[in-house]
This record gives sequence, C-alpha cells and structure tokens, in this order.
Amino acid sequence: MNALYDLLLAPFAYDFMQRGLLSAVLLSISGGLLGSVLVLRRLALMGDALTHSLLPGLALSWLLLGRGPLALLTGALVAGLLSVMASALLSRLTRLKEDAAFGAFFLVAYAAGIALVSQLGTRVDLLHFLFGHILGVGPSDLMLTAAASGLTLAAFVVAYRGIVLEVFDPIFARAAGMRGGWFYAGFLALAVLNLVAGLQTMGVVLALGLFVLPAASAYLWCDRFAWMLVVSVVFGTLGSTAGLAVSFHTGLSSGPAIVLALGVIFLASAVLSPRYGLLHALALARRERRTVRHTVD
Amino acid sequence: MAGHDIFRLQDVTVHYGQRTALDGITAHIPCGALVALVGPNGAGKSTLLRALLGWLPLTRGEIRLGDKHPRHLHPRLAYLPQRPEVDWDFPISVREVVAQGRWPSLGLFGRFTAAERERVDRALEELDLTALAGEQIRRLSGGQQQRMFLARAVAQGADIFLLDEPFAGLDLAASAELIHLLQRWLAQGRTVVAAVHDLALARAHFSHALLLDTRLVAAGPAAETLSDANIDLAYHRRMPVLGVRP
Repeated sequence: MNALYDLLLAPFAYDFMQRGLLSAVLLSISGGLLGSVLVLRRLALMGDALTHSLLPGLALSWLLLGRGPLALLTGALVAGLLSVMASALLSRLTRLKEDAAFGAFFLVAYAAGIALVSQLGTRVDLLHFLFGHILGVGPSDLMLTAAASGLTLAAFVVAYRGIVLEVFDPIFARAAGMRGGWFYAGFLALAVLNLVAGLQTMGVVLALGLFVLPAASAYLWCDRFAWMLVVSVVFGTLGSTAGLAVSFHTGLSSGPAIVLALGVIFLASAVLSPRYGLLHALALARRERRTVRHTVD
Repeated sequence: MAGHDIFRLQDVTVHYGQRTALDGITAHIPCGALVALVGPNGAGKSTLLRALLGWLPLTRGEIRLGDKHPRHLHPRLAYLPQRPEVDWDFPISVREVVAQGRWPSLGLFGRFTAAERERVDRALEELDLTALAGEQIRRLSGGQQQRMFLARAVAQGADIFLLDEPFAGLDLAASAELIHLLQRWLAQGRTVVAAVHDLALARAHFSHALLLDTRLVAAGPAAETLSDANIDLAYHRRMPVLGVRP
C-alpha cells in the first residue's frame, strides 16, 4: 500500500505536480472529445501535420510578443489557419493531392519553426518547447487550459446533435436543412486552442497524443458515440496521471511520459478489445481455418 | 392533395463548368406519385435530384415545391444518395441512426420526448428493423442498411422521397421488398422520385416517369412515357453500338 502511495500519489504532493495534473486532466477532457472526432473522420494524421505547422507561429509570436499565453495563442491560430488554407489551396488548384500538399507544407513549416526556435537562443530550451516542461505550468497557463477545456466541453454539449450528424452523415444534415458550415472552422479553432493550452504540459509535437491515443483506444471498445466520448476522457485522464507520476520518478519530460502511458492503454486495447482487438481477430481466423480443414477432410 | 403538382420545373438548366448537365427541363411532378427518373448514364438523373433539393445553382429556369422554393421545406424532403458515404464502423446503432430523423425538427435543444421515441419505434417497425434496432450498423446487410436510411426518412416525417438509384446493388429479394414498400407509400399518398436503370421495373411498378437525355425526352404516366419509341429517342446514340434494345 505504501509503495503504491509513493509511486502514484506522493508526486502530487508538490504544487507544480498538482498544477501539471490539473492541466493534464483538463486537457484530457477536451482532447478526448476532439480526438474522437479526429479519429472518426480519419483526420488523425492531418491533426499531426497541423501540430507541426503551429511551431513557426508559436516561435514568431514568442520572438515578437513575448511568451504570454495570449501571444502564443494568436501566433498558433494564425499559423494553423494559414497552413490549412495554403495546403487546401495547393491541393485544389494544383495537381497535388491532399496528403502530399499537407505533408509537404507542414514539413516546411516545421523546419522553419525549428529554425526560429533555435534563434530564440538561451531564452528557451528547444526540448521544453517540443516535448513539454511540467515545471513551467504557471497560473496563466492553467487559466488558458481551463478556458480551452471548458469551451470545448460546452461546444460538445450545445452542438452534440450537429456534431454527430456532421461526423456521421453530413449529406443527411444538409438535405434536412441543418447548416454545417461552422463545423470545421469551429473544430479547427478549438483544436488549435487546446494544442496551445497543452504546450507547457505536453509540448508542441506530443500535445496531439492526448487527442488521438485515448480516442483511438476508446474506439476499440465502444459501439456508441456518446460512450466513446466518455471512455476517451477516462482513458486520457488515467494515462496522463500515470504519465506524470512516471515523469516525476524518472525525470523524463512530461509529454513523452504521458504519451507513453497512453500508448500502453492503446496497445492493451488493440490486443484485448473483445470485438475489435487482435486476439479476437486471431481467434476468428483460427476458427475459420479449422472449419476449412474440416470441410476439406 | 391528389391532382396537385408537388414540383413544378420551368426551363431548368444546369451547367457544370462547360458541360450542360440539364437543358431546359419543363415538367410537373404530381403529388402522391411514384416517379421513375430514367435515362442513359450522364443524362442528368442525379443532377435533377440534387436540383430538386435546392442544392444546385440553376443556370436558367426555376423549381417550385408547392408554391415555395425547396430550400424552405427541408423537413418534408428526404434524400438518399446512391451510396451513402457514411463510415459503417461508426460507433452507432440502427436505432440511433433512425432517431436522427427527428433532429432536424427538434434542432439542437429540443427534448427527445416519449412521443419522439414512439415515432422512431414506428419508423423502425414500418421498415421491419425492430429486431435489429440495437445492432451496430456494420452488422446489417446492404438491403437492411438501405431500409435503415429509409426508416430515418420516415421518422423525419418526410412525405417527399428523392432516391438516387435505390435498386443498385440490391438482390432480387431486397428489390422486391423495396418495390413493395414504394407501392405502399404510393397508396399512402407519399411522393417518391427515384432514379432507376431497370426499364422493365420502371414500367411495371412506377406510376409516372421522366425520361431524360440531358433534355427532357418525355414525361407522364410511366407506361406511355417509357414507350419503345421514346426509349430509342433517349438512348439512340448508344444502342446501335451495343446492338441490343434496352
């Protein structure tokens, strides 16, 4: 019992760990909700590309406006919008398909971002920026995270029906006269807001882990959308708590520690899920092979 | 309602860029009719359906639904695309999909009352899906998946159904069931406009037909409209090559 306490609870006696935990739990809520939409709309990789493209915007606003959360948010929003619009334009007007346009554009943006961040010199540690730095979570970061998380939760409560239709069957929504034009703009804004909010805890590159991994894990267990949302949030919370404890004991950056903990949940889900997991698929295949052999005999 | 026209098309013309998809269609679609849209590939059947939904900018002409523009009457309109582009692995049950039919009139906040639930139950029953209501949608057969979307349209309270090639990909039993259902709707005074490829089926089971070849070749009661002479007119450029009559 004592060992368990030392392992899991003792780390959170410290103020900075409490702030980190609160931030991670808040992000788990919004991440689980937004991540479920990403996973179901097959936008997980696109989201990954998007996070990389935020880097130059973040670095530029840091250089020009300082490191206040509002400055970072503005920089990231502008970078995110510009990259999405530019790559959409490329894929629509040139021969390039969407994946190549987005992929190419976001790689360049990422490189530009790293170049800019390294120009920030001693004022900021590149590793902190990329992978998170739990010690750096200040009160203003927490405020931003709470706002991002609350806004996301509110959006899902208010627009739940619209979101389900827009994700599941936008053509029906349109035929029935429901307007969906706000959906992608709103989704993008919420995603960027939460990615920026996750900057201190998770880092630019890994913040999306709190979106994609819990949702992908929940997708393997749930046959109802509402349950998938709830289970995503629970998985995210469990994973980030465990990850923070690991980070405390091992000195690993909080971002990778959390993503690795979420990875354990994901892998376990992929193997063990009773209906959609690997073990189930293998058992099915073996049963099928046996049936075929019997028929041949 | 019988005897009235539900859609009036006046000189309806649609261009996709340089290509003319529909050219000067003037026709009336009577209320409570089962209308087959017939014509070769590229004749504009899908385009006409989308125009009836009010989705396409018309180059010329106008479409009236009753005496209003279609855009104002959405809850009455139900549309089933040729292949619904939904993710069959979506975590959702048959019942939940059918219940979506109530959302357009409830909006984001309307309470899903017992009366709403009952409408969903009735729609499931009408389409013979009650036993499958709890299933995840991937586990349905093709015909059952189609019935699920039709049940959603029924739950929506639609009385005008626009169906794009509903018979494509159905086996014989499922086709027969669909015909049975459409005839029942016809008897109930609902209006169905369906793009159909099978001429024999359209002649035998539909009350009216519109024969298209970008322009309107003929319109009216199905048997007369789909006469051999008219079919030759609509398909003439393609038939001699194939050497068969449709």
